[in-house]
Amino acid sequence: MTGRDQGSEIRDQETEGMKQLLREALPPLGRDREPDRDLWPAMLQRMDEQSSRAAASVPWFDWALAGGLVAFVSIAPRTIPVILYYL
Amino acid sequence: MAGTLVPTMVLPLLLLAFIVLRLGMQITFPIERGLVFPMALVPALWGLWNVLWEWSRERTHLPVGLHGAFLPLLMLPAGASIATHAGVLVLAATSVTWFNAITVPYALIALFLAVAMTAYYLVWKYVVGFANRVLGIA
Repeated sequence: MTGRDQGSEIRDQETEGMKQLLREALPPLGRDREPDRDLWPAMLQRMDEQSSRAAASVPWFDWALAGGLVAFVSIAPRTIPVILYYL
Repeated sequence: MAGTLVPTMVLPLLLLAFIVLRLGMQITFPIERGLVFPMALVPALWGLWNVLWEWSRERTHLPVGLHGAFLPLLMLPAGASIATHAGVLVLAATSVTWFNAITVPYALIALFLAVAMTAYYLVWKYVVGFANRVLGIA
């Protein structure tokens, strides 16, 4: 057996050892890899509930602040890239 | 994740602006040097700021909008420092110049800070707060 073959065999053993260690460290996924029901409709319902609640309770000063922002951007549109830089 | 939502939504706009300016309009100014801040650091800072709010809110009772409004106080100097080193912001005697095109006198920087804090207050209150509630964080 040449030195190159021996090196290759040692690397294979190390790889196998690493695979074995990873298998032991990570928990098995089990048979049911997906949730038993579609979660997206529940998420949509939650988003609808939150958005209807939020739209009904916007105080007047928040509208005033938003108006002030729109006015500032209208007066100085060159600042839009700088604002986007910070978002 | 809720904290990083807004910067992640703004990223495609920035990339679109970059493509239009650099490739479409053939602007020679090296805009890409300035992209490291909005593309890498801003989302991370927003996410960390949201984590900080979640961690501290039981003690501070600070609404998420007010908490977010304080973020520009940290980001403005950080962004300006990075932009100066990247060459997209030039500090002159009486004004600063962004992207070789937008000159802002120092006197107006306080106004700009107020505008940034207002924008952040609204975005954090209504967008980040909404995402936090939907995800069950708040």
